[in-house]
Amino acid sequence: MSDHIDGPRVIGDPAADLTDLFAFTSPENPDRTVLAANVFPTCGADAIFSNAINHSIVVRRAKVAGLGDAAKFETTEPEIRFSFRFDVLERGPADRKAIQRGTCMLPGGQTLRFVVNDKAGASTADGVFRVFAGLRSDPFLLAWIIPTFTRFQNLLQNDNVLCMVVEFDTRLVLEPEKGSLFAAIAETVPLPRPGAFVSHEPPRIDWVGRPEQTNILLNNPGLRGADDLRDLWNQQTPFAVPDALRTVFLDRVKESLANWDMRDGKQDWTPGALAAHANVRLDDHLLFDVAKPTTDASHLEIEKSTLDGRSYQSGGGRTVDANVIDIMLTMMVTRDREAVRGGATSATKPGTKAFPYFAEPNTNLQTVADTINLNAPPDKVWALIGQFGGYWHPLIADIKLVGTGVGSLRILETIDGKRIVERLDAIDEAARSYRYSNIAGIPASNYTGTLEVKPNGAGSSVEWRAEYLADGQGDLAVRTIIYTLFKTGLNSLKQRFGASQ
Amino acid sequence: MTASSELEHECFPTTDGEIAAVNLESARRRSWSVFFQDPCRDGAADIVLEHERLTAQFVGDVSALDRVETLAMHLAQTDAGSARTALVQAQVASMVHRFAEARQHLAESARLGAPSAEVDRLTLNIDQADWSNLDSVLDQRREIAEKSGRLDDLVALGALLADLRDCTEADSLYRQALENYQDVSPFPVAWVCFQLGVLWGELVPEPQRLLAERWYRRAVDCLPSYTKARVHLAEIYALSGRTSDAEAVLSSAIGSGDPEVRWRLADVMASLGRSADAEAHLQAARRGFDALLGRHLPAFADHAAEFYSGSGKDRRRALELARVNVANRPTLRALEQAHEIAVSAGDAAAASELLADARKRWSSIAAFQRSPLANLRAAMQGAAA
Repeated sequence: MSDHIDGPRVIGDPAADLTDLFAFTSPENPDRTVLAANVFPTCGADAIFSNAINHSIVVRRAKVAGLGDAAKFETTEPEIRFSFRFDVLERGPADRKAIQRGTCMLPGGQTLRFVVNDKAGASTADGVFRVFAGLRSDPFLLAWIIPTFTRFQNLLQNDNVLCMVVEFDTRLVLEPEKGSLFAAIAETVPLPRPGAFVSHEPPRIDWVGRPEQTNILLNNPGLRGADDLRDLWNQQTPFAVPDALRTVFLDRVKESLANWDMRDGKQDWTPGALAAHANVRLDDHLLFDVAKPTTDASHLEIEKSTLDGRSYQSGGGRTVDANVIDIMLTMMVTRDREAVRGGATSATKPGTKAFPYFAEPNTNLQTVADTINLNAPPDKVWALIGQFGGYWHPLIADIKLVGTGVGSLRILETIDGKRIVERLDAIDEAARSYRYSNIAGIPASNYTGTLEVKPNGAGSSVEWRAEYLADGQGDLAVRTIIYTLFKTGLNSLKQRFGASQ
Repeated sequence: MTASSELEHECFPTTDGEIAAVNLESARRRSWSVFFQDPCRDGAADIVLEHERLTAQFVGDVSALDRVETLAMHLAQTDAGSARTALVQAQVASMVHRFAEARQHLAESARLGAPSAEVDRLTLNIDQADWSNLDSVLDQRREIAEKSGRLDDLVALGALLADLRDCTEADSLYRQALENYQDVSPFPVAWVCFQLGVLWGELVPEPQRLLAERWYRRAVDCLPSYTKARVHLAEIYALSGRTSDAEAVLSSAIGSGDPEVRWRLADVMASLGRSADAEAHLQAARRGFDALLGRHLPAFADHAAEFYSGSGKDRRRALELARVNVANRPTLRALEQAHEIAVSAGDAAAASELLADARKRWSSIAAFQRSPLANLRAAMQGAAA
């Protein structure tokens, strides 16, 4: 993933984990620029921003300071900084979901308050700035098993992230007449310690410029036995990696780029070009030019053209739908000689043409199913498990049946004290199957379960299936609960009746 | 200086505990998602384990142990015979205190080529848990803590020293851990505060309840979902007659499923004269402990022994469980607990046997001299003379 789970420290608080940074021209209005940063990979529907972190997107003016093997980009102060901070949860009435508010500090010190997940966002009175923060579908596409360089399905399919977006009037904020090339980074920094000296800044938790500086370059899994430098990298000051450490990082990036170049068995980068590429990469910021078009294909074009010794043609940057991994791998492995394509071509959902440009979060119908083959005839197994209020599951401590037949309710108390309520929707004694709905106890809506016993040779086969819409806790919490219930229940039948093939 | 201001000056502000608990749940789901997509993916199972461990430790969700067993089972089916699977199986076995089994899986993982650093790290954890190779464990812990200075390494050393009743150094290490902490997750901070509460409330020769209460309260303030800290805080409230405070602290933790919450609530209800409520909580606690013992006997033997020797009113069972715990990890604390239960059960032979066992194993270490068992030894010797 772009910068997901990229160092030991960020595993502690996933809300501090920056995943991606974006910079592109607004699809709605070419006079406006959009910057966005995402945190907290694959969060559930209730994920919340940390109230102890300052999340910033920082922009500096940049210029091309060298071409070809002398390729170099230089950045200059002052910085244009957008900082997002978030409050603790606000509890309203018991039947209402808690809300979170946040504040974006804009360049010049102006602040803008907003409500998290309000997709209209908030705007300054003059309309120059507009911000959004909330849960969105993760636009990142990683369709590779990176260690083995093998095509795969999108590993982030159906994932969500917490997203911060700021859109602004390009001319008024960036003053492109003074130079239209910019470099951006995003960072997460803890709030200062109370009573701390002003000069004693808290150490940075995470930062990101271009995608995959950490997970693919610094921690290239192809470099066996190499130390993990990601944590050290994350603690450096963006735009100002100290000379003493620069050599350490530069050596690693060179080694890593050389390794990537040979992944297809062909050397496409000369030593000089590779060293120049490493130098460019070490200045890790997302380059974008507001005077030129940003497209889904323009990511890294500024760097590539400069390394090739010619003027760049596009706005570079990174759009929501840019397939940055394939663009990056194509550059590193073949130097654009041949396109390198992963096992999928698009993320779960494409970006949108309207603010906030990142798609709604994912809530797809999910299925969990498990089957076991038993050494007992179907009737014998059905006699045990075919009663809707039957007591046979080892994770169920108590069961009460209210009513009879279709429409009856079973109230299950699990051995760890949780209560689950389910309603019988249909039963077919001849087919040895019943269907039920979950009423309470499993954090899912539209939950339908089916239990069926079928003949299987001299024995039988039990299939247990559930379909549901993750509701509030996200797919995996629910999946885990259901999977554990199914697996444990079916395994107990194996002990009771014996398993067959 | 209050504990609160002490803490504020000892670490950076951390993420609000309610937010962190919600986000831990999200992170836990994330790790399962990655695992289900590709169980063999590097690190996928380890991250699930880490999140489930945090969930068990800081949310008191005992079903986390069932989920990690499911994880190990699933991995054994999808990636059987790999070093990684054996390592995960070892971690799961260790998490549910099946230390002998964990060692077998560890040996297997080493044979299959698991990274020696990981094997060594887990071996050290297991050795510390069951007090094997104690001198070597202490040396290694000191070396690691000095080298890394990381919070988890400092706390691991502090916890060992606290068990060895070197409370001054343990306190100093815990405070150093807080001071060095530079992240925003409240879990490590709450953990250190809890450890400091246990140190001052239970392990020092003369417990200092007020100090312990402050640390437990800080742990709960930092992380309201921290069930274990709530239980310990409620115990102190109850001991000092603040039963309504104890009830409030425990009531919001009922949903965790931890039977200890129901047990302590039963005690509080009983002291308030609400016998029907007390009985209902007691029944729920008994059912909860029995269910847990059925699935994870070694992990809950000591807590259940405590329950049955007290409000659970079954001292025979308490002694059996305490002996199970001693057999699994014969630490000084386990032996002290078993001995105390044997005495209260009126089983002089068992008490004598346990005392002899403790003396045989631990009389050579300094901690034994600070143990209540040391005085008994002196008393016995005096009686014999």
